Amino acid sequence: MSEAAVVEARGLVVRYGDFTAVDRISFAVGRGEIFGFLGANGAGKTTTIRVLCGLLPPSEGGVSMAGVGYEQGERAIKEKVGYMSQRFTLYNDLTVGENLDFIASLRKLEPAAYRRRRRELLELIAFDKPMSAMVRDLSGGIKQQVSLAAALLHDPEIVFLDEPTAGVTPVGRERFWGLIRRVAGGGKTVFVTTHYMDEAEQCGRVALMREGRLVALDSPAGLKKTVFPEPVFEFDPIGRLSFDKLSAYKTHEAFSFFESYGPRFHAAAASPELWAAWAPRLEKLFRIRPIAPSLEDVFIRVVEARR
Amino acid sequence: MNRTLLGFIRKELIQALRDPRMKFILFVAPVVQMTIFGVAISNEVKNIRLAAFFSPQDTVLRDVYERAIHGGWFVPAGASGAVAQDPFELIRADKADAVLVAPEGGFTRALGRGNARLQLLVDATNVTQAQSIEGYIQAIVARTLAADLGALPARPPIRFDLRVLFNPSLDTAIFMVPGVMTMLMVLTTLVLTNIAIVREKELGTFEMLISAPVSRTEVILGKTLPYVVIGMTNLPLTLAVAVFVFHVPMRGSMLALVVATLAFVCTTVAMGTLISTYCDNQQQASMGGFLFMFPAIMFSGLMFPIENMPASVRWLAFIDPLAHYLSLLRNIMLKGGGAETLIRHSAALLLLALVSGAASFKRFHTTLR
Repeated sequence: MSEAAVVEARGLVVRYGDFTAVDRISFAVGRGEIFGFLGANGAGKTTTIRVLCGLLPPSEGGVSMAGVGYEQGERAIKEKVGYMSQRFTLYNDLTVGENLDFIASLRKLEPAAYRRRRRELLELIAFDKPMSAMVRDLSGGIKQQVSLAAALLHDPEIVFLDEPTAGVTPVGRERFWGLIRRVAGGGKTVFVTTHYMDEAEQCGRVALMREGRLVALDSPAGLKKTVFPEPVFEFDPIGRLSFDKLSAYKTHEAFSFFESYGPRFHAAAASPELWAAWAPRLEKLFRIRPIAPSLEDVFIRVVEARR
Repeated sequence: MNRTLLGFIRKELIQALRDPRMKFILFVAPVVQMTIFGVAISNEVKNIRLAAFFSPQDTVLRDVYERAIHGGWFVPAGASGAVAQDPFELIRADKADAVLVAPEGGFTRALGRGNARLQLLVDATNVTQAQSIEGYIQAIVARTLAADLGALPARPPIRFDLRVLFNPSLDTAIFMVPGVMTMLMVLTTLVLTNIAIVREKELGTFEMLISAPVSRTEVILGKTLPYVVIGMTNLPLTLAVAVFVFHVPMRGSMLALVVATLAFVCTTVAMGTLISTYCDNQQQASMGGFLFMFPAIMFSGLMFPIENMPASVRWLAFIDPLAHYLSLLRNIMLKGGGAETLIRHSAALLLLALVSGAASFKRFHTTLR
């Protein structure tokens, strides 16, 4: 992180009754960073984001969002951040123009400032439909781009995108990430949650959550290095192998990690000695080549870890 | 007015008025329903089959019977006259809805002796109809006596009902139409407000709403004021049907009616908001609406007089906004509006609006997650 933190979470805890949704989370994010938030469903990502957006006061701990926290009131935080929730942020039964008008009124934007900002954002997303287009008639990708514009309408320093590309076509996702990079390039801090590993690769840093805890936080390259200190190989089966046999490799003494990856497998060697002992036999069954672990391997090992 | 609130009202009205189905529900359905309900309900107590047993010398009772038949509400049951049949059997066999039975020696002679007792048997399987029949016969007997004897006897053989005073022909449309107005009004305000709020929660737009630095007051007023406005537009519509189609009199002041309606609409909108804080999806909202509507109609006095309810449940009528509005409507439209009734029921409505408004305000906060 090159500059002072724009987003800071200090020992966040969120409890719903007996259930602890978020368990002592701390991290800091700098200006202009694209910060990825990964984890299985129910790991506490959305809850954490709600705390950071001023929507949910934490049970313990505090946040500092561009200098303000819950001590200054939820509304002070809400001024600083833009939020695009994983569900609809636009009304399907209103036009694009009516939606933006409404959000401008929620944010109490001055009419002149609003018109200027709207023009800028519609240029950014290259929106070429009329303002009178009904939101329900837009494609999923375009709808998400307009949602992004809506979240940026009040020019916040920080913007949260909760699964912004869920249900969007690959081309649409590509375009959306282009927008994210431009927004971050403009100096805004972008928080994004996703289930797509190719998207996570595009983040400056990635935080992994599991059961309410932050289990890893680093750049994608850094994560791969720290999570897989041992050599990683790709296994390509030569003949047909029974399911039982393949399942048995998951607990095989030669491997510290063995997971399917499409029709192939990614495996990590448990130790150089064991690897040397087993390799000749395994090479009869698989074409083996050394590879760098993918972020998906990292995700599987850390988030869906075999315990 | 604050920019957020204005934006809210504009957005809510656009949403409510864009959908043609919604427009129909808001503006056409009330008029159609008023007309249909009014006609259906006013037809209900016509064509009552009346039988009477009297001897040829019993002129007063014959007069009562003939007036009843000529009055248009009753038709002969087909088994009247001097031949005495078992009156119970007539009703049980569904040959008559009401039977007049003369006392021993005839009604005319009994009147002369001063201890006249005229028996009326009414099929009360339909309570409302039975009450109407009772009222009709009482009125007819009273008028017959007044005509035949020149004056009412010192101790009238019948007790007058209040309804007879203000609705002398016992025209049920006049009595029932305000009730239908009340029901339609609560439908468009309480149910719509409830669903409008819950829909935002269900679709997830609510989260977007509250991610902006808006205050609770802005959100609540923004979501409710438009429905107060829409609810108020129902007044001229239903009132026009009441006055022009059903000839319900409008004896009181228009201002009183508008104020009473505003108080009522605010109450039902506040209650709709309160119900919405307990619902997460539109199915629950609909169920919640029904859960409110059924008892609210039962205790409104529309079908069953509140005075007849046991004291243990009568208090429910006090917290029922429909009961107060119905009293207000009947009072203003039919009686011309006694100040005391007006103030009492309007104050009760405002109290209910305040309590449910405060409760939803409090709950609104806790449901922001």
